[in-house]
Amino acid sequence: MNSKIFSLIIGVLLVVVFWIGWVSTNPADKKAMAQFISVESLVNNNFSQRLKLGGIVKDGSILISETNQLECSFVLKEGDAELYVNYSKTRPDLFKDGAEVIVTGEYVDGMFYADELQTKCASRYEGDLRNEANYKLEELDT
Amino acid sequence: MNPLAGAVALNLAFGCSILSIIALIAYNRTSDFRLFLVGQRLGLAISFFVFISTFVLGHQLMISNFDIDYVARYTSFETPTVYKISALWAGQSGSLLFWLFILSIFNTITIIQNQSKHHNLMPWVIITLSTIQLFFLVLTNFITNPFEPTQADFEIVNGNGLNPLLQNITMAIHPPTLYLGYVGFSVPFAFAFAALVNKDIGALWIQSIRRWTLVAWLFLSVGIILGGWWAYQELGWGGYWAWDPVENASFMPWLTATAFLHSIIVQEKKDMLRVWNMVLIILTFSLCIFGTFLTRSGVMSSVHSFTESSLGPVFLSFVFIILVSSFGLMYSRIGVLRSPRRIESVSSRESGFLFNNLIFVVMCFAVFWGTLFPVITEAVNGNKISVGPPFFNQINIPIGLALLALTGIGPLLAWRGTSNKRLIQNFAFPTILGLLSSMFFIFLKMSVYVVISFSLCIFVVAAILSEFVKGAKVRKRKFNESLFKAIYKMIEKNRSRYGGYIVHLGIVLMFVGFTGHAFDKEKEFGIKVGDTKSVANYDFTLIKMYEEERPNHYAWITDIRVTDMFGNFVTQLRPEKRVYFHKNPDINKRQPHSELDIYSTLNKDIYSIFSSVSSDNLTAFVKIMVNPLVKWVWIGGYILAFGTVIALWPRKE
Repeated sequence: MNSKIFSLIIGVLLVVVFWIGWVSTNPADKKAMAQFISVESLVNNNFSQRLKLGGIVKDGSILISETNQLECSFVLKEGDAELYVNYSKTRPDLFKDGAEVIVTGEYVDGMFYADELQTKCASRYEGDLRNEANYKLEELDT
Repeated sequence: MNPLAGAVALNLAFGCSILSIIALIAYNRTSDFRLFLVGQRLGLAISFFVFISTFVLGHQLMISNFDIDYVARYTSFETPTVYKISALWAGQSGSLLFWLFILSIFNTITIIQNQSKHHNLMPWVIITLSTIQLFFLVLTNFITNPFEPTQADFEIVNGNGLNPLLQNITMAIHPPTLYLGYVGFSVPFAFAFAALVNKDIGALWIQSIRRWTLVAWLFLSVGIILGGWWAYQELGWGGYWAWDPVENASFMPWLTATAFLHSIIVQEKKDMLRVWNMVLIILTFSLCIFGTFLTRSGVMSSVHSFTESSLGPVFLSFVFIILVSSFGLMYSRIGVLRSPRRIESVSSRESGFLFNNLIFVVMCFAVFWGTLFPVITEAVNGNKISVGPPFFNQINIPIGLALLALTGIGPLLAWRGTSNKRLIQNFAFPTILGLLSSMFFIFLKMSVYVVISFSLCIFVVAAILSEFVKGAKVRKRKFNESLFKAIYKMIEKNRSRYGGYIVHLGIVLMFVGFTGHAFDKEKEFGIKVGDTKSVANYDFTLIKMYEEERPNHYAWITDIRVTDMFGNFVTQLRPEKRVYFHKNPDINKRQPHSELDIYSTLNKDIYSIFSSVSSDNLTAFVKIMVNPLVKWVWIGGYILAFGTVIALWPRKE
């Protein structure tokens, strides 16, 4: 290969590697990175950085503000550990009791303030099969 | 049709795949042509049995046979027919069978198409394709069988039904389109592998797979765009790309496949980059399988992931086997693979292709790095750090802009080298236009990236147009044709080249749409009937809010009047909040769904989401987004597909 081209290729690669390394250590946006953590270790330790947690929405724990329907709080459960989460944006349609969710935000004084709330997407629609007790044909018009 | 027939057909396909591989390996050792014919016919038999199996499952879905677990989980009596068909790829085992089904179609076409061609390559092509089929047959026979009977201690009177979010025609088309892309790369990979085994490394295997690669690339591109379009129209977060691991999983093979499509031109024309082409096709196919691993393993927290299953390690092992066997074989053939010719000049088209390839691969690495960042950081320091869209955008925007620049530069360079005089001639018009436009955008006080992106878009469009004009002028002079006829004839005579330029034009328009993201505005608020709220110089007045009970859902509907800053009427938006299965006594089985309303123009989209309604039914909580230039992403997508079809269109004999 032409030595000029070879040097250029090496140059491009070095610049890109440096660039990826730089952004990986100094992201411009504070929302660029979040540390995955379990609910249990968050409850037992103090973390000041941006965090990401996964778990199940505890049955009956969703509270929606009467005055501002966008504001809601719920309990995130992972195993036996529980965490209060506050979220004040449009909620995804699949968000409900028992839904599997991922929240991203910050932990302040016992409350997790999430600014991102993701529910598992439609391709995970794999619930238990229905028995007659919870599903009757005549109750659903077509 | 008895469901047992489907399970038996899967078993028979499994047996045939093993026998086909054995027969063809024996043929390679003995050169007994009868063994080749046996292997080839068994290869066709695998596909035949897979077709039967798929049709049986399709039939069971149609007749709602809830004795099959898969049917009970993904359909119900009420599921419309079209979605009973799309339920075939809605769940894990069904989608794996569907993968196999598409692979079997491709396998059959490859065998029939090459019955009297490529005699030395075909045995190994069939072995490779049968091995891939065997892998999926192992999965569907022994790990996640779609014909598994329902196991419940009660009678299943009706199935679960398909999620309403998936009951959308785009969502019915998006997965099979992506699969056609993913699976399509099996064929070029099989030819590459066969070429390596036979040490038949010249341009022959490249010629035999160019069209296949383009078809697979088209489906992958359309599948990705459809996924983005569906997310934008249905999911209600106002975007079309979130750098989710599963989205990245489809984007990575697209990047390497695009690089491959460019670099095979260099091998065809100049017999260079042989090693590089092998690397690219191996990477592309491995990334397709790796993408399926990411989707199914649950190793990455993705909104798309299926239930965690034992499939992850199996897929990862398969990727490992592909990489080790292919690169091992390549290493052993490195002597014959090395091209005798070298790139002579930096200002040559070969060099342009090489740098475009480099940027594609580097971008693929950047996406790979970000996708696996949690795994990497956990391995390095024990902390699992995930990265979000700002990280991907920060890394990829400059790389993407470099790629955009090369899209314009490449076609202006001549093969072997471009003289200084021609460099000035070719670059003057696009460069001056690009620079003038950049001054205009700076004057409008746009941000640095926006100025660079828009100016490069103009530079590339000017470069493409000058190529068209140059070619048409030559024809006009030579054949005395009208300009329109000259352009038509020029495209007809050189479809792959000008089809490619049209694809580039589509990409430029998509970049215009991506750049519009920099101007997005959004606001979430509660609003009572008669109130007005402002977002991005538009006023939104809630005219009325009402409820309706419809056949399969209950809906709250808002009627929002949109006026511009001068009070002129713009549009009426009617986003809805729906609850499907609203009569179901089990509240958890009811399914809320936000039906968006989007006012879309070439200039901007006004995107409205009805989030919720207050308990007194007086206040609607809505999210409004004003997204400039989004429509250009979809228009660019259409043009990309159109250009690819032109490049694919067969020549008149």
